[in-house]
Amino acid sequence: MISGLRLRQLLKKELRQIFRDPRMKRIVFIAPMVQLIAFGYAVNTDIKHTKTFVIDHDRSAASRELLEVVEATGYFRIVGSSQRPADLVRALDYGEAEVGIEIPTEFGRELAAGRGTRVQVILDGTNSNTATVAQGYLTQIVRQFGLRRVAEAGGFSASGIDPRPRAWYNPELASRVYNVPGVIGMLILLMSLLLTSMSVVREREMGTLDQLAVSPLSAAELILGKTVPATLIAFVDLFLVTAIAILWFGIPMRGSFVVMLPAALIFIISALAVGLLISTISRTQQEAFMSMFLFLLPAIILSGFFYPISSMPQVFQWITVLNPLRHFLEIVRAVFLKGAGFAELRVQFVALTVMAVGFMTLAVVRFKRTLAT
Amino acid sequence: MPEAVQVRELTRKFGDFVAVDRVSFAVEEGEIFGFLGPNGAGKTTTIKMLTGLLHPTSGSAWVAGFDVLKQIESVKANLGYMSQLFSLYPDLTVLENIQLFAGLYGVGNDRFAERRDWVLEMARLSDHGDRLTGELPLGFKQRLALGCAVLHQPPILFLDEPTSGVDPISRRNFWDLIYGFAATGTTVLVSTHYMEEAEYCHRIAVMNRGSIIALDRPAALKGAIREPILEVTVDNAPRAVETLRRAPGVLEVTMFGRAVHAMVEDRATAQREIPRLLSAAGQRVESIEPIEPSLEDVFVSFVKRAGGTVAG
Amino acid sequence: MNLTRLWAVSRKEAIQLRRDPRSLAMAFLLPVALLIFFGYAISYDVKNIEMAVLDESGSERSRALIEAFESSGYFNVIEYPASYGELDPLLDRGRVRLVLVIPPTFETDLQTVRGAAVQILLDGADANTATIAQNYATAILARYSANVVSQGRSLVLPAEAETRVWFNETLESRNMIVPGLVAVIMSIIAAMLTALTIAREWERGTMEQLSATPVQRLEVVLGKLLPYVAIGLFDVAVAIVAGLLVFDVPLRGNILLLTVLTLLFLLGALSFGMFISAAVKSQVLATQVALQTTYLPAILLSGFIFSISTMPLALRAITYAVPARYYVTVTKGIFLKGVGPGVLWVEAVAMVIFAAVGLTLAIRSFKKELA
Repeated sequence: MISGLRLRQLLKKELRQIFRDPRMKRIVFIAPMVQLIAFGYAVNTDIKHTKTFVIDHDRSAASRELLEVVEATGYFRIVGSSQRPADLVRALDYGEAEVGIEIPTEFGRELAAGRGTRVQVILDGTNSNTATVAQGYLTQIVRQFGLRRVAEAGGFSASGIDPRPRAWYNPELASRVYNVPGVIGMLILLMSLLLTSMSVVREREMGTLDQLAVSPLSAAELILGKTVPATLIAFVDLFLVTAIAILWFGIPMRGSFVVMLPAALIFIISALAVGLLISTISRTQQEAFMSMFLFLLPAIILSGFFYPISSMPQVFQWITVLNPLRHFLEIVRAVFLKGAGFAELRVQFVALTVMAVGFMTLAVVRFKRTLAT
Repeated sequence: MPEAVQVRELTRKFGDFVAVDRVSFAVEEGEIFGFLGPNGAGKTTTIKMLTGLLHPTSGSAWVAGFDVLKQIESVKANLGYMSQLFSLYPDLTVLENIQLFAGLYGVGNDRFAERRDWVLEMARLSDHGDRLTGELPLGFKQRLALGCAVLHQPPILFLDEPTSGVDPISRRNFWDLIYGFAATGTTVLVSTHYMEEAEYCHRIAVMNRGSIIALDRPAALKGAIREPILEVTVDNAPRAVETLRRAPGVLEVTMFGRAVHAMVEDRATAQREIPRLLSAAGQRVESIEPIEPSLEDVFVSFVKRAGGTVAG
Repeated sequence: MNLTRLWAVSRKEAIQLRRDPRSLAMAFLLPVALLIFFGYAISYDVKNIEMAVLDESGSERSRALIEAFESSGYFNVIEYPASYGELDPLLDRGRVRLVLVIPPTFETDLQTVRGAAVQILLDGADANTATIAQNYATAILARYSANVVSQGRSLVLPAEAETRVWFNETLESRNMIVPGLVAVIMSIIAAMLTALTIAREWERGTMEQLSATPVQRLEVVLGKLLPYVAIGLFDVAVAIVAGLLVFDVPLRGNILLLTVLTLLFLLGALSFGMFISAAVKSQVLATQVALQTTYLPAILLSGFIFSISTMPLALRAITYAVPARYYVTVTKGIFLKGVGPGVLWVEAVAMVIFAAVGLTLAIRSFKKELA
């Protein structure tokens, strides 16, 4: 049984407490927007203008042309060149370059003579992702350059298979389009946890929880009193950051908000439930903080945000099924980029709902046990 | 006359530790009922079980006619509670706290203004309604906490060491308020470890190590002590205690500031022997005279009679 | 500065930590648990990409091409749609990431000078995986067509790139992730350990007690830091051992240098957490500030996952204020590149500045309080 009078006063109290400190307003509303703008620029895995160092032993027309082609792709930017291989080592050691290209003497002559020639490509493997992609590009560029030169010289005709790749949903293969929705999900999860994970344990530390527990307030009312204000705030945040994603970063919104909103609501509820659960099992605020951290890092890393879930070992793929962020990200990305609707996303919706109901039930059960032991 | 609180064989264990051991008592309407005992005696645990904050391990209890085990919601609607931890929200203003608790206890708009003004007046905070509660001096906080606990005019009020840490004058004022409630028919259950505070109660349950070892009116408890008590003023009380503890005819020795209270078998013999013993031990006796037993003497005596040692 | 008083503060902090076994267990075990967990879980290595083939040719040649995809180890052909109409839902539902469309004229076109065209449809949403998949696919097609063109004879390609990867020869993403992860986890743990310590003392009123004693600000700050520095160093040591033994990440540089730089980093990060704590004086607020100023930047702006060089100028400027950035460079440099002080002095200087600023801020923030 829920009394309107009690609930109204409890909601008022929660909102007053959250916003009593004027700094909270900034943290709750301004910080996520600033973060989305900053991180929106950061979350970029495109290989563009990769710093490249060149050692051209040949210095022929052919070698210069090859380097021009390399730079013209836009993937590489030549930041330095030298005759001494030691300089290349230095550039890679200091991180001044991530790719080195070494063109052998006789490159132009061998090429013209049609006797295969080899260009050395050295990659900084400390960022294995950049290295993998750059390696692929350079292999293609060099091979095609050679074939074209021979074809132009009237050697053999370049035939065989001509691959015609076409990327759907994201024709320019811009990683930002994929990652900005990921940042949205991460920020909303963070905010939801921050708003609830300290709330109960704080009252317990202050002794006010007992004061509430001896009043006729029911567990359901208390939970509602804690979740409703947090839900409202998280929703406002969601609107703000989504607006920035669309207006500032130009992320295409191909789907419908009618699909986004219920997904966001269910996701926020499941995140708040996790926060409440943390708060009820912790004895001090410090413990709550650490437990939140313990949940947050795996939730982000195992969400498919930066690491594709399909590349994880099977066990971890199973674990990700329990991660609400994973399902929410799949929905957000599909709605934004593919214009997906309920039909395509029913699996994710069901999973997210199960998660929200499950976590909330756990939180309520734990909460009742906390109130009377 | 119906009983406001009725407790039978109430027990609470934490693992192997028995915090409250088969406690039984009854409190009448309008009575001020005190729990006296050191920390760890089981006072707070008993109150927490009666207010629904802890589940009893066994036993039963009725508050305001409702079963604490089965009808806790009805129990809660009929009680006010104030704990030793000052437990209002420090980051809400005085008025916001009053508003919150009025809402929680269902004090509707029709009665709210009147009750609010009453609390402000009682706590002498009428000019400080918009101040943050955390900034108030402790005495004010305590009165406000009491005010919030009785906003809904509960028939039964539970006060768990309500005056710990407060200066004697504020404590005196606080008790005046409690008398006021009792006079209008409110039943008050209060725990304390201040002996002089217990004297304000109509009846006292003396608790030690989870059990009630005595229960009666303060005067009756004092009267129950047949052994005479002598107050000995000496220059070195700790040493005097050491000496007297081994003296024949002395049942119990406790220190009271610069003085020593000795419970003796026979007044005349002791009054003669004690100065002699102390002088022999090289201590100077300033005075020695018979006194009325205090509640602390009562406590020590009952603990001894129960064959135990003082907890805490 | 008085060592007795400093020691007294440290002792008190250590005792409080010991009395709180849950926090202590978290401080000690969490970093190692996270490292092992993520070291296994995360990988950029794109394998077993699920794909579909629309084979309109149905010829021997087209089957050989499909076979080439399947045996490459990168692709898993899981669907054989019969028509174009069936492609949309496959990509929409995310069932496959890549579709290879082989035209009906494939076999005959291959005999001509023009050659044959095949279509590769990619789910471009995840641009990174799509790019890698596209590269793999083109490489497979190139190898296949070289075979066709040469008709079995060995063919000399006019120009080939001979690639070598330094520092991480096998391009294992684990080698890149583990050292970075050590840095990220430590920067988060460090802020977390101290963010609440002083705010808690304020809320409990013990700070007043402390300020009533002759203890000096520097003594309080250093005294509180010491136990956490010890925990932090222990954590890093265990993380390094785990990286070496469990994940076979090479440690090519000097371990002493790593220790010294770690110490510098911890000092700065812990002081910063303490500054937050002293500045806001509320545990709830301290949590918020610590998370927002250290947690997310350490993950996103440190160069751990997203390379700093591709960020816009303004953001790149901001990363210079993220201490994790320097520490990530240090761990990657010492683990993988085996570079020494000659290369890492820039990071070292930056971390000295960071530690000095952090300590100064922490000490100054006490000034108002202990007045």
